[in-house]
Amino acid sequence: MNRRFVIHLLGRLLLIMAAFLGVPLLAAGWFREPLYPYIGSMLVAAAAGAAMIALSRPENSHIRPRDGFLIVGGSWIAVSLLGALPYLIAGVLGPEDALFESVSGFTTTGSTVIAEVTVVPRALLLWRALSQWLGGMGIILFTIAILPLLGIGGMQLFKAEVPGPVVDKVRPRLAATARSLWGVYVGLTAAEWVLLQVAGVSSYEALCHAFTTLPTGGFSTRNTSVGEFGIPAVEWIVTLFMLLAGINFVLHYRLLTGRGRQVLRDRELRYFLGVVGVATIILTVCVHTPGERIIDTLRIAAFQTASILTTTGYVTADFEVWPSLALIVILVLMMLGGMSGSTGGGVKSLRAMLAMRSLRATLHRLIHPHAVRPVKYANQVVQESVLSGIWAFLTAYIVIAIIGTAVVAAHGYDLLTSISASLTAISNVGPGLGEVGAYDNFAHTPGLVKITLAIIMLFGRLEIFTLLAMLSREFWRR
Amino acid sequence: MHVVIVGGGLVGSSLAEKLSGDGHDVVLVEQDRELVAELNDRLDVQTIRGNGATVPVLLQAGIENCDLLLATTDSDEVNMVVALVGSTLFKVPRVVARLRHQGHEESFNKIASEIGGEMLAINPDEATVERIMSLLPVPGAVDVVPFFDGRLLVAGFRVRPDSEFAGLMLSHLRLLFPATPMLVVAIRRDGQWTVPHGEDEIQAGDLVYFAMDVAELDNVLTLLGLRKGVERKVMIAGATRIGISLAKRLEAEDMPATLIDAVLARCEVAAAELMNTVVVHGSPTDRSLLIEEGADRAESFVACTDDHEENVVACLLARQLGTTHTFALVDNPALAGLIGDLGIDAVISPRQLAVALALQFARKGRVKAVATLMEDYVEVIDVEAAPGSRLVSAPLAELGLPRGVLVAAVRRGDRLLVPKGDDRIQPADEVLLITKTRDAARLDPFLEGER
Repeated sequence: MNRRFVIHLLGRLLLIMAAFLGVPLLAAGWFREPLYPYIGSMLVAAAAGAAMIALSRPENSHIRPRDGFLIVGGSWIAVSLLGALPYLIAGVLGPEDALFESVSGFTTTGSTVIAEVTVVPRALLLWRALSQWLGGMGIILFTIAILPLLGIGGMQLFKAEVPGPVVDKVRPRLAATARSLWGVYVGLTAAEWVLLQVAGVSSYEALCHAFTTLPTGGFSTRNTSVGEFGIPAVEWIVTLFMLLAGINFVLHYRLLTGRGRQVLRDRELRYFLGVVGVATIILTVCVHTPGERIIDTLRIAAFQTASILTTTGYVTADFEVWPSLALIVILVLMMLGGMSGSTGGGVKSLRAMLAMRSLRATLHRLIHPHAVRPVKYANQVVQESVLSGIWAFLTAYIVIAIIGTAVVAAHGYDLLTSISASLTAISNVGPGLGEVGAYDNFAHTPGLVKITLAIIMLFGRLEIFTLLAMLSREFWRR
Repeated sequence: MHVVIVGGGLVGSSLAEKLSGDGHDVVLVEQDRELVAELNDRLDVQTIRGNGATVPVLLQAGIENCDLLLATTDSDEVNMVVALVGSTLFKVPRVVARLRHQGHEESFNKIASEIGGEMLAINPDEATVERIMSLLPVPGAVDVVPFFDGRLLVAGFRVRPDSEFAGLMLSHLRLLFPATPMLVVAIRRDGQWTVPHGEDEIQAGDLVYFAMDVAELDNVLTLLGLRKGVERKVMIAGATRIGISLAKRLEAEDMPATLIDAVLARCEVAAAELMNTVVVHGSPTDRSLLIEEGADRAESFVACTDDHEENVVACLLARQLGTTHTFALVDNPALAGLIGDLGIDAVISPRQLAVALALQFARKGRVKAVATLMEDYVEVIDVEAAPGSRLVSAPLAELGLPRGVLVAAVRRGDRLLVPKGDDRIQPADEVLLITKTRDAARLDPFLEGER
């Protein structure tokens, strides 16, 4: 292993995080709130980062697969720990709670243990939103974008952090690709910030929500989320941006560089939009009560579909009181997740599509034992190794979801709560059903449940394999 | 610069690595799925899977705003099509095609002169023959690269314990042998390359590269304690395109040669094409055959069969039988690295030669010639000093050249100089620079002229 380089890179990452802590620090100054939580965290991050850089003098930047996993896994763990410090130092949360909130932030989950959001310092809420924004497009991708020090092996880090089974470079260089993707991300965030202000949200709250929509995060500055604004236009704007965030950012880049036709032909996009349409219709039919305007029901159904499918987790209605069919739709949406290359979590549209096609091919082979029938996507044969990767992913996803369910159930929660808490964690959605539903939070769960769910969130954000590889004995063998 | 490379084999991928390292945007097109996956992980370039001779794939690779197109697949015909599509349909300003067949090369050059535009055919086989021809007159050299139209040689030798150079400090070189102007430009010891300074010492067993005036060659050889063979005779193993072409060149220079090949049909082709060369049917690793044909008395043995492992074995055998100098064709860099110490004088890689030629073309403008010394760690760059560039701004010692960069020689008009620290490079001088390959990009600021 190239330990020195791994440590060096982690050190740099911590310095970058120290710089980002300047954002809540400025906000605290502006709102005349206490500054020490951010200064303290900054000092810790800067000291740790500087020490790591000083102690490691890498001879080269060659990374082998093992180093790649270590960098990605190590970075996310380090950043999650660091992100917990401001909550802890401010005295708002205890250790497990702070860790849960931080992991839930960076992994763009959006589950919270803060029951009363409005009494928390506004700068701290901004940090909470910012942590989601950073985690959405990826902290390592950000590092690659601004510090192009990775040549050989950099692609592996890129692949580990960008969701989806197949990853494209949109530009010849990795650093340029990372910059393009981040550029689109920043642009969309700014657009939403402006639109929300036009629709009547205060500048600060608009920023916090823009920061948590684009990464499909879901932290809100209100106890009952986006619905509390009570402005239909805001809900439509947020719906639009949640969907945009759930779409592959490579497609956004192509659209912006004038290749719109390619984007429209994208099969995964059509599938994704199809799921949105069908789920919205089912929810509208389920939820509609006679006497209400159909447009209002449609708004609520579309918002909830977009929010859960893209794994954002905002709410505008207490969906726990909806009929069972609607709840099943919500659970299925939780699992499906956004498109590959988006900031959404879950299984991802592409994996779901390919798994279904692979299933069809298997059935075909049962009936025609000698048939040659490869699985195709966009007129290209999908390699067996990609397919087996997808099946392995699904298996691991289910196993981890069951373990999570068991841990929650062991603490006395009912089945719906347990299953939904586990799924919402691994898919990085946010709210669950039952006792952790739309208007509830995770404050009442015991420490062990919080820690378990936080670990599952990390598994989900890093698409399971990275952390799973680090847990294998093979990984640590010399 | 936006560069499109078609073909991800050894040549294509090395070029991609180098050009991406130079800071260009590189898109690599390759058909083989596994190769694409491997290159995509290993190199910082964009890879596209598909047939690079087709328009949609080229469009996807961004051929429309491409500045340089390199066709380096294994097939001459495909390379030809790629190059022609690029230069005619998309008006790519500079195009390189790797063509092994001389006839193809001729057709290509005719078309190129018809179309106009910068088009270059690279023939690795011809380049290999050139390289062998430049090595043969320098017995004992591991590597010989001519510069300045052949007036200056950069040649690598293994220093023998009985050589005058063993144990010598570099700064004493000039004092001890004032009549022989030469400069040590690179040393390889225990697998490590250095571009040396004055306090470094030459040790027995080192591989030392000298830059020297071609007229001084015999003096340097004597100082190195190198001897020539009993008979001025060359044995060639392998009636391949390279083997036959080499034999023809030797015939033209009146050097007696023997050509050995294990396949009768190839021997017949060779015998039909050659006039004075002795063509022998038999295995180049057959001990008694080699003795029969006088390998023990020959000066040089060149193994150029298509099986590169066999080349190594044949050379070792010839060496054991008493051939003074042996040369093997080896493309695999790992294998080439292994055999440095086995006593084979020189390892020649046709593919690396093709890479060097293409790079030379790609970096054209300031750079007249680029050569990479063995294993690719050290690069020799031949440039014309641009007026107003940093290179001519001060005496050498005060230029602040990056560490590990050496000015090996300067040609000013008709004169050849080995410069000292207080010398100044003048505009329009032709300058030979030595640098570690990975530092090559750091030289750029020195080479740029005024805008």
